[in-house]
Amino acid sequence: MSDSGSPGAATAGARLDSFSYDDVVVRKFLWATIIWGLVGFLMGLIVAIQMAFPAFNLAPWFAFGRLRPLHTNAVIFAFAGNAIFTGLYYSTQRLLKARMFSDTLSKVHFWGWQAIIVSAALTLPFGFTQAKEYAELEWPIDIAIAIVWVIFAVNVIGTLVRRRERHIYVAIWFYIASIITVAILHIFNNLVIPAGPLKSYSIYAGVQDAFMQWWYGHNAVAFFLTTPFLGLMYYFMPKAAEGPVFSYRLSIVHFWTLVFMYIWAGPHHLHYTALPEWASTLGMLFSVMLWAPSWGGMINGLLTLRGAWHKVIDDPVLKFMVVAITGYGMATFEGPMLSVKSVNALAHYTDWIVAHVHTGALSWNGFLTFGMIYWLAPRLFQAPLFSKKLAEAHFWIASFGIILYVVAIYSAGVTQGLMWRAFDETGRLAYPDFVETVARLVPMYWVRVAGGSLYIVGAILFAYNIFRTWKARPVTYEVPVVKAPPLARVSAPPAHAPAPVPAGAWARFVSLGWHRKWEGLPITFTVLTTVAVVVASLFEIIPTFLIKSNVPTIASVKPLTPLELAGRDLYIREGCFNCHSQMVRPFRYETERYGDYSKPGESVYEHPFLWGSRRIGPDLAREGGKYPDLWHVRHFENPRAISPKSIMPAYRHLLTNEMDFDGIQARVDAMVMLGVPYGEAVTGAPAMARRQAAEVAASIVQGGGESGFESKEIVAMIAYMQRLGRDAQQVVLGTNAAKHVHVDSVAPARAPAAPGGSR
Amino acid sequence: MADQDNERLLEHSYDGIQEYDNPMPRWWVITFWATIVFSILYALNVPGIGNGKGRIADYNADMARAMALREKMEPAGVITDSSLALLAGDAAALQLGKQVFETNCAACHRADGGGQIGPNLTDDSWIHGGSPSAIRTTINDGVLAKGMPEWGKILKPDEVSAVAAYVASLLGSNPPNPKAPEGTKTP
Repeated sequence: MSDSGSPGAATAGARLDSFSYDDVVVRKFLWATIIWGLVGFLMGLIVAIQMAFPAFNLAPWFAFGRLRPLHTNAVIFAFAGNAIFTGLYYSTQRLLKARMFSDTLSKVHFWGWQAIIVSAALTLPFGFTQAKEYAELEWPIDIAIAIVWVIFAVNVIGTLVRRRERHIYVAIWFYIASIITVAILHIFNNLVIPAGPLKSYSIYAGVQDAFMQWWYGHNAVAFFLTTPFLGLMYYFMPKAAEGPVFSYRLSIVHFWTLVFMYIWAGPHHLHYTALPEWASTLGMLFSVMLWAPSWGGMINGLLTLRGAWHKVIDDPVLKFMVVAITGYGMATFEGPMLSVKSVNALAHYTDWIVAHVHTGALSWNGFLTFGMIYWLAPRLFQAPLFSKKLAEAHFWIASFGIILYVVAIYSAGVTQGLMWRAFDETGRLAYPDFVETVARLVPMYWVRVAGGSLYIVGAILFAYNIFRTWKARPVTYEVPVVKAPPLARVSAPPAHAPAPVPAGAWARFVSLGWHRKWEGLPITFTVLTTVAVVVASLFEIIPTFLIKSNVPTIASVKPLTPLELAGRDLYIREGCFNCHSQMVRPFRYETERYGDYSKPGESVYEHPFLWGSRRIGPDLAREGGKYPDLWHVRHFENPRAISPKSIMPAYRHLLTNEMDFDGIQARVDAMVMLGVPYGEAVTGAPAMARRQAAEVAASIVQGGGESGFESKEIVAMIAYMQRLGRDAQQVVLGTNAAKHVHVDSVAPARAPAAPGGSR
Repeated sequence: MADQDNERLLEHSYDGIQEYDNPMPRWWVITFWATIVFSILYALNVPGIGNGKGRIADYNADMARAMALREKMEPAGVITDSSLALLAGDAAALQLGKQVFETNCAACHRADGGGQIGPNLTDDSWIHGGSPSAIRTTINDGVLAKGMPEWGKILKPDEVSAVAAYVASLLGSNPPNPKAPEGTKTP
């Protein structure tokens, strides 16, 4: 019914174009999806084991802080990215009745993207990172991403222009929104000043950098993991179910509300931080309002199966899709819930967030991809699927794996969140030693390892199944010739009697005729989508950057010394920010544990911000002066010598690596370009750093440690640790001391009482 | 489903995919409007948008409540050298002190008190005074400049006393490889 169903066929009559679809590039993307999927899942398993069993941090390049970004980048940009391209290249050509604009651009896109992934694998484990989540890749790779993405965009927009279908289908709307928005997000979050071939500093600092990062970070989830996959769902779900989509009207409403509202939601990642309250509240409210638009997609997906549920019983493709859409529904209910401040206060910094993203990623992105590829493989390889039974086994094993994973990690998240905030009857923290709240989670981490392993077993069955299907392919693929009339200049009149044009503006609005017109004008449609995204972004970005009272300055906050700056770069290199936050929230249970809550003015020189998003270890915003220098030496050398239950990797190499003092000048210079007032360090950074290094080394010796550390990296790291929170801390120390005078020195003045041993 | 016969299928078809002209589910529309109304009302109570007091005011109120509670609580009793000396004779208290020491202090002072990152606690040299009550004060208030945490914030008063008594009891235990004496000799 596909070609004859088009109204154009009836009117254009005689002239038909002959053409074919480019499935060669689709097959390439399909293999890339499978291979990078296996790699990305395996990286996930490795970091999961490292959390349960710290000795598995085998080398500096094989430690959690370096590999966790590799896992997230691999599954998001390599696995999900290639999955998007597979489905998009397949469906776009068919929905627009046109071959891709340029086979060359398709090839450049494919190989360019794979090269970017390889360069990520070659830089992240070696400590080259921008320290911004999901935007870790350093500036040369970012430029490559921007170029390849523009090539992709030109290819898709060129295809839109050359299409033979007058109107564009909802899947294409979602593709357009994704392509445009990802480009905007990527470019504006990655604006940096290079300080070396693979080193850079964000042009934004502190509060503004945090805002930009989570504007980007949340919308990476929105426009990389949600909208493109909704596009795929709108094509592959009705294809697999062989039935019409439930509601065209719902598609329109949920598409525009989703695109317009999603972009505001980012600041909910920064509740109770130094970000102004109005901004994080806007993030929360738009997230709450996003619940219904998100569920619009779920409804349209699931209700497309009405009357076809019996097919789900014996079709693994539909099984995967149903669980994918259900997982999407759960994650998009939980998302708004987590954005509510009181819920977020408990969940933030814990594994709850990790469980939330894995509900979405493992089911929605993973299962939709598996379902799509099981549907595509027989068509692309022109051979029946090797084994339906194996696909069924994959489905059940992976589903069980997801359940084990999320149950364990939800429990871990809630457990740790509750332990952090528990007070005992004397008003003291019930678990003052942070490591107690970590040790409690280790059994659940092992359950996660089991669940993740099952998911990987499923993925291996999947890869094998597709491989065997490919083995049975014909010697040469048949390339069907498609015939379709050229693009009609105007929308064809409906074959049946047209619905009467309703009277009244509102009636005309709800009749959606105007939208139908837009669907015939894809370039206008693209521009309107861009406007929706940009306008919504500017509503938050402009006040964040322009309102001075958002970031009250603190006179005692000064730039880091050159050595401390070098130490901060080591902190970034080792990926410490993956496990340690530097942002104390204004809650009594946080300030009792860490010290006074963090102020916006404290991070005005923080390029990039290092507030963190997860506390696998304790917050470090007030770390300076808590422990002697020698303590840090011993702790970096072997954390378990100091804290037996710690799961932190050992950083012995910091004690032996030579410090690159001469390289510090370029870093200071880059900071100066960003407007950080560096004074005399502008010319003599290495000499200043050497002087301070000698002081730290002397203090280690004085404390009873070895000599000779003045030329090693450890002194820079310790100098940075000891500086954390010091600038704004004077006042705080004063209040703590006062509290103590009050609590304890009152006691001896009172009447004698029985010795307290039995109390 | 029965009602599918009544649904109007739209004429367009994309690669064979068709769409129904179904209305949006009513519960969905109501939910959407409800979240919008909720958001508007909520915004009225947020500083910077509406006129609420905000998170810092909430935090200060919570801290004030906690301080008031702390003031009401009876202190643990008079602590003097002699009360701590009494504890030193109490096996249960010493056992508690030993346990607290091993959990919290051993990392820096070694399990046997011989000193490593922190000073030796078994000799008769003391930086901040060696009387049981001086030891207790050092533990309780910490010496932040030298990296000794404020244990009074973390441990209960009885635990601080017990560990002070335990530390005092280590005098002269002569562990192997002790850290060199620091501070002044206190008889």
